[in-house]
Amino acid sequence: MRRCASVTMRFEMTFMTTTIKKTNLIDEVGDLLNSSVPEVFNTMLTLEAVPASPPDLHSSGETLVAGSVGFIGDVNGVVYLHLTAAFARALAGKMLGLTDAELEGDEMVNDVIGEVSNMIVGAVKSRLCDSGSPCVLTIPCVVRGQDFKVASAGASERRLLGFRCGADHFLVELLMKPSH
Amino acid sequence: MSKKILTVDDSKTIRMIIQRAFRAHDCSLCEAANGEEGLAVAAREKPDLIILDITMPVMDGITMLTKLRQDPELKATPVIMLSAESGQANVATISQLGISDYLVKPFKEEQLLEKAGKVIALQLKPAA
Repeated sequence: MRRCASVTMRFEMTFMTTTIKKTNLIDEVGDLLNSSVPEVFNTMLTLEAVPASPPDLHSSGETLVAGSVGFIGDVNGVVYLHLTAAFARALAGKMLGLTDAELEGDEMVNDVIGEVSNMIVGAVKSRLCDSGSPCVLTIPCVVRGQDFKVASAGASERRLLGFRCGADHFLVELLMKPSH
Repeated sequence: MSKKILTVDDSKTIRMIIQRAFRAHDCSLCEAANGEEGLAVAAREKPDLIILDITMPVMDGITMLTKLRQDPELKATPVIMLSAESGQANVATISQLGISDYLVKPFKEEQLLEKAGKVIALQLKPAA
């Protein structure tokens, strides 16, 4: 039986002025993600993640895992790291130095994906803060299932960034409250 | 003499990576998943070093560090902050609370060992 889940985002924080260029802010954050994703994969997993076309994971029928971390403050948004469950499990084993049999169910895999998401968005957050756009991170969340979609409750801008890691592909989805 | 290290991080992943980083060294590790638990474990175990995350549920690392520095028995305990947040203002604020060092995630185990080795005398476990 296919499971469906939907994730609804709400942006309720006050939007304030910032000193960094707002017009292309989502593209600037996208660029930051394009550098932080490979950095985290290289440092924590000794794996090379290369920017690639965004994969269509959600039509594959495979079970997917999505780690999410938001940033709230002068700039507001959320980043989702979408991977197949099989790739997420492989990453967890690599990061923890455990065999597939040693991984305890999905709990450890979810924790690893949450932490990887946290590191990726943490690097972005730090650069935003240093650029004069202070914000804080939310606690990482992990969603697991098939055919789930991320939907924003309000108007938001969206960017999809694809990556290739060996034979596997994964997706980084960025949703941001538009700047005015 | 074996050193005692307390890891306070809500991520089991990070706690396991830290455990693995020190496995070749003559030290014992204890852990806590948030600042509140961390204060309780610190009071009980009197660690030689605390490796402390910032963003955690229940009680974050900055609150725990503040309370630690107010505790007469624990205020001198060295703390290395380990966080995904490396903003200049963030680091400056935390530095004022009295930390021995700051390590940004993502990190390599060697970086952690190097920083810990500057705070406590780390020795390799004797060969079996």
